[in-house]
Amino acid sequence: MSDTKIAGDFLSLLAERHLLPSDPAQARGAPVETQATTVFAFHYADGVLMAGDRRATAGNVIVTDRVEKIIEVDSTSLLAVAGVPATAFEMARVLQTSFEYYRRSQLQPLSLPARVRALARLLRDNLPMTLQGIGVVVPLFAGVDHGVSPPQARIYFYDPLGAQFQAVGYAASGSGAGTIRSVLSFQERHAAAKPSQMNLREAVRFALALLNTASEFDAATGGVNPAAETYATIKVLQPAGVETVAERQQEEFLHD
Amino acid sequence: MTEEPYRWLEAMANRREYVRDQLKGGSPVFAASLPDGILLLGVGGGQSKVFELFDRHALAGLGHPADIEKVRQAAIDAAHLEAFTRAAEDVSLRRLIGFGLSPQLKTQFDQIFSAPFLVELLLAELGAEPGRDLLFRLHFDGAFSVQSGGAVMAASQPEAESAGQSWLNEALRDKTSRAEVVDLLLQAWWCQVQNKWLAESVPGPAQRQTGWREAVRGKTVEIGWLARHGPRHARYTPLTLAELGL
Repeated sequence: MSDTKIAGDFLSLLAERHLLPSDPAQARGAPVETQATTVFAFHYADGVLMAGDRRATAGNVIVTDRVEKIIEVDSTSLLAVAGVPATAFEMARVLQTSFEYYRRSQLQPLSLPARVRALARLLRDNLPMTLQGIGVVVPLFAGVDHGVSPPQARIYFYDPLGAQFQAVGYAASGSGAGTIRSVLSFQERHAAAKPSQMNLREAVRFALALLNTASEFDAATGGVNPAAETYATIKVLQPAGVETVAERQQEEFLHD
Repeated sequence: MTEEPYRWLEAMANRREYVRDQLKGGSPVFAASLPDGILLLGVGGGQSKVFELFDRHALAGLGHPADIEKVRQAAIDAAHLEAFTRAAEDVSLRRLIGFGLSPQLKTQFDQIFSAPFLVELLLAELGAEPGRDLLFRLHFDGAFSVQSGGAVMAASQPEAESAGQSWLNEALRDKTSRAEVVDLLLQAWWCQVQNKWLAESVPGPAQRQTGWREAVRGKTVEIGWLARHGPRHARYTPLTLAELGL
């Protein structure tokens, strides 16, 4: 990374003060890392819905069923983390601070392409940890593109090395992603109720069903269990910004 | 020069006079604590005067735009580094000003062979309740004062500022509506720029209202609002006169 400070770039400021979060050349022979799965995003009628289960595992141990994997980076960006939470949450924190720092210091918001690349840059910087097999993160990102009229919410997915791709209809990541992608593909192509045409209520119910389906085939994916008051983390991104679908609202939608 | 006390004092007095002279005619800025948040207001001719610093913090200032920008950038850098290395809840104006901005301004002012900062500033920190709102008045020489709640004004001339401040505290008592408060702040702004505070009597409400409406034509009224309650961490939003029904 360059030592030259770039205007409005929070990572440059951190580097200047020797406060960059991680030294990748560490941690050989680390213990089994905690992993987080499964997250997905799809377009629905009013924007993008992003959801994730709340389970974190280490090997075959369930560490917790209360992880928040869908993170509001700023008022027009969402991040879904799959992989090692320690690295993923640190990336989210860097992005949150970077975007707000840029907006406040430069008096304008960061463009969507720049926000997408900022995450790619963090993944690239995490490459040594990825190659060692620890600290792997494969996130999803959703942001509002204000470069088009009217503004539109878009979905991006990444590979662990930082390559970025725009998803046309949907994207999924984590150990349950295969199941999710299969169902989403079938639903969009062949079913009468296409996700891209669903309203919020239908989209939330569909997202909860998707997670339950994934949890039937993947032990690392926590499903939805109303009896234990375990729901998903669901956020929607519309051109106007981010909204959270709270657990109580999910419960209402499920019982309609 | 520094080993001769008289010349040192003279140099300092000259600098103070120079800064005040440069700032003369600067458009004053205001901050007022309300039950639902903090309002900041400034009237400019193109250059911004009211800025968001961090989640619950904002700044308003008058002076040379380049100097305001340096202070603003230093405050934003410090606030974001503090929030990143500790937590957003640890960002406090008391520390930011007391240990950061104030010493820097003082050092710059004392270095008699370099140019002093041409700024007069006020900074606001939103509390969980109105009684915990903090309004700071920071001067070009690093001196600062703080008050909890109420209203604060920053102007270029200390005597007029003091008179305007007294009027504001009286006029804003028990006022809770944002539109009403903005109207009164703009009346105070008009009195300040028209140098009415030190006249024998302050003009009546109708004259003050007509006065500010005519005076802001062709200028930009900047209003910043730090909302006490909201779903997001960042509580600052810019407002317009039209949004407030003015």
